[in-house]
Amino acid sequence: MLIKLEGGRIYDPANNINGEIGDLYVRDNEIVAAPGDNETVHRTYALAGKIVMAGAIDLHTHIGGGKVNIARTMLPEDQRGNVMAKGGLTRSGGGHAAPSTLAAGYRYAEMGYTSCFEPAVLPANARQAHMEMADTPMIDTGGYAMLGNDDLLLQLIADGAEQQTVNDYVAWTLQATQCIGIKVVNPGGINAFKFNQRALDVDDAHPHYRITPREIVSKLSRALYELNVPHPLHVHASNLGVPGNYLSTLATMEAAEGLPIHLTHIQFHSYGTEGDRKFSSSAAVIAEAVNRQANVSIDVGQIMFGQTVTVSGDTMAQHANHNHAHPHKWTCMDIECEAGCGVVPFRYRDKNFVNALQWAIGLELFLMVDDPWRVFLTTDHPNGAPFTSYPHLIRLLMDRSFRNDLLGEINPDAASASHLGSLQREYSLYEIAIMTRAAPARILGLTDRGHLAPGALADITVYHQHEDPEQMFANPMLVFKAGDLVVEEGRISKPVKGTTQVVRPEYDPAIEKEIGRWFERYHSISLHNFGISDDEMAEGIGSRVTVHPCREGRP
Amino acid sequence: MSTLTLRLRSPLSQRIDMSPFTPELVAGRQADEVARILLWLGNRQVDAGELFAINGNSTEQIVIQSDSDRLDRIGADMSGGSIRVEGNAGAYLGCGMRDGAIHVSGDVGLAAGCAMRGGRLALDGNAGDFLGGALPGERQGMRGGSIVVKGSAGDRAGDSMRRGMILIAGDCGDYSASRMVAGTMVVLGQCGAHTGTAMRRGSLILTNAPKSLPVTFNDNGRHNLNFLTLLSRGFKDLPAFASLADKGNLVQRWLGDLSCGGKGEILITTPDLA
Repeated sequence: MLIKLEGGRIYDPANNINGEIGDLYVRDNEIVAAPGDNETVHRTYALAGKIVMAGAIDLHTHIGGGKVNIARTMLPEDQRGNVMAKGGLTRSGGGHAAPSTLAAGYRYAEMGYTSCFEPAVLPANARQAHMEMADTPMIDTGGYAMLGNDDLLLQLIADGAEQQTVNDYVAWTLQATQCIGIKVVNPGGINAFKFNQRALDVDDAHPHYRITPREIVSKLSRALYELNVPHPLHVHASNLGVPGNYLSTLATMEAAEGLPIHLTHIQFHSYGTEGDRKFSSSAAVIAEAVNRQANVSIDVGQIMFGQTVTVSGDTMAQHANHNHAHPHKWTCMDIECEAGCGVVPFRYRDKNFVNALQWAIGLELFLMVDDPWRVFLTTDHPNGAPFTSYPHLIRLLMDRSFRNDLLGEINPDAASASHLGSLQREYSLYEIAIMTRAAPARILGLTDRGHLAPGALADITVYHQHEDPEQMFANPMLVFKAGDLVVEEGRISKPVKGTTQVVRPEYDPAIEKEIGRWFERYHSISLHNFGISDDEMAEGIGSRVTVHPCREGRP
Repeated sequence: MSTLTLRLRSPLSQRIDMSPFTPELVAGRQADEVARILLWLGNRQVDAGELFAINGNSTEQIVIQSDSDRLDRIGADMSGGSIRVEGNAGAYLGCGMRDGAIHVSGDVGLAAGCAMRGGRLALDGNAGDFLGGALPGERQGMRGGSIVVKGSAGDRAGDSMRRGMILIAGDCGDYSASRMVAGTMVVLGQCGAHTGTAMRRGSLILTNAPKSLPVTFNDNGRHNLNFLTLLSRGFKDLPAFASLADKGNLVQRWLGDLSCGGKGEILITTPDLA
């Protein structure tokens, strides 16, 4: 089957194509070079006046794993109030803040997304997370395994283990949990919470292990670098949501010692203590630090006003916030002693000073970080807002007058405390294509997607040109997933299943002895039953594994 | 006042969601239009006219004639007018209703008056479990209005109730007024085990002492409560409850549940010894 996409305006930043009119050819599941004259094109789509981009990639969205399920269970009103009946092709689902797997998959595809990554896969919960993601249709998925609060790693570091041992443990974890990256949440802090600690700054010693978050970040980011894992350490920094936490954020950047590091939902980590209310924006300082340090990448975690639910592994932060729960119900729990989990429903209000300033801080970060290759469009779904608000967010970035209109509606003190009104920048379609396609693919090491050169997976989104970017990005004209036309005019036209994206750095299997002893002594299951095999992924869990290559050469 | 009548043609193979047939939703529609409302029957949709013989004009009053216990969510979320069910009703009768009246001549299923905010529910027959209870997963149940049951209720009557009144002329199953937050419930018959479990506030008025109360209820002594006269005066239009006035104002008062605040009261009328 050979398909031709004819005459669309192509935005493909990975190949420096900025709005040029051209043709694309798709054979089966791949983009191919223009065929010879003697070849038959089976189907041609005339796309004059349409916008063509690669399928979008969300590198940080909570769509699977224990905590999302807890949020779904805790918020029956979220399901009841947002029911999605079964259609001719689609199955029933629902939910707005914590959508069901089916609703999430369909809605992502209907917005032109083709790959999504769950950033908090607890190793002990990896099976559950992959099962949920396998049940999320339409999109390719992947996960980042959470380390840095597990007692084994903390003990290794406390005992002064060599970097090589940490590397082996990290690589083993990636293999056992079928993940593509490593995330650390509040390094050491979740563990310290269990020792009755309610805060742990970057250079504070853990009450039991006497090691600091800085050492944990340093060891883990070095491990990923030395293992040639493409995605740098994915860091949810210390002191989330605490006024004045920008200092912890800057210290966390330093802790990587120049090695690649990704700071996630940085909006929640860019708060100062100036002003009457001791809460202010430090976006300028953070953006300057990001601009200065090429090893740092960020995603924003923009908040949007309205009801959502915050789900996080950061028990410490979630426990601190539980009084703000709306509706008033929440949970914090330990999970298999590996890390924690907190679920707190929340309603962001535009007339509330803090919420309004959070909204402005996120946008300031987007607009003040110069390099779109190092800042990613996320709402930390569902923590800042459900992912369905992405088209609205894109409009905020692309349309200054729209942004300033909304700035006029939020809490006036927050509006005047923010620099947002003075920021002139408007994102171009090319920059949006970078931050939602090319850059996430590059930072995850996904060479097969996020671009439109021959050889790429045929994940393609075609948009109608529209004055209003929100309309444009909410309802793509066509979405192709691996060559299949899956969405037409913003509606599912063919349900498909994705695969699971992983990396497999090599390691010395001798580490399994050490891990095995630990499991034998402390864990609830044996090491033998812990790891997830490719066969189990394909047949038991229901999602085949796609292995992506590690970077080449030793550093 | 004309009436829109829905008569069930034949026994149902599946449960039906009847919430499209409230007075405000069918207002201004002719019988043939109402007959084209789509209902889910299992996994397929059918015209209402296939299942019901529909006559009359849509107005303030809807009459549903059925012996089936599979008609769920009758009068759900309604905010005015009245519905009369001649026969039985299924689960979630009057769920979330805000105003208006529903009268059922037969028995009803689970969770009648669940999450109700206002209006009146009158049941001539028996009610199932979770009468006036909460939607699944919610922390508060009925928030206003009144429920009058001439027959008996199942388990968990008044579960998580927040406001309003429930009157039950017959018996109750186990866990009556469990997790009650506030409001008033009167039972003239016999309550089962674990009455008042996890009750936070609110009043449960009984004319027969249950066989036992949870150990987390404390005897608060005998009281002569004049408000009972006022309360029973409000029942003068309800013959089944007129007998409450005859019981006098002397009650044994129990306070609990001490495991969650202990501000709830169970008042058990006692013969006047004076």
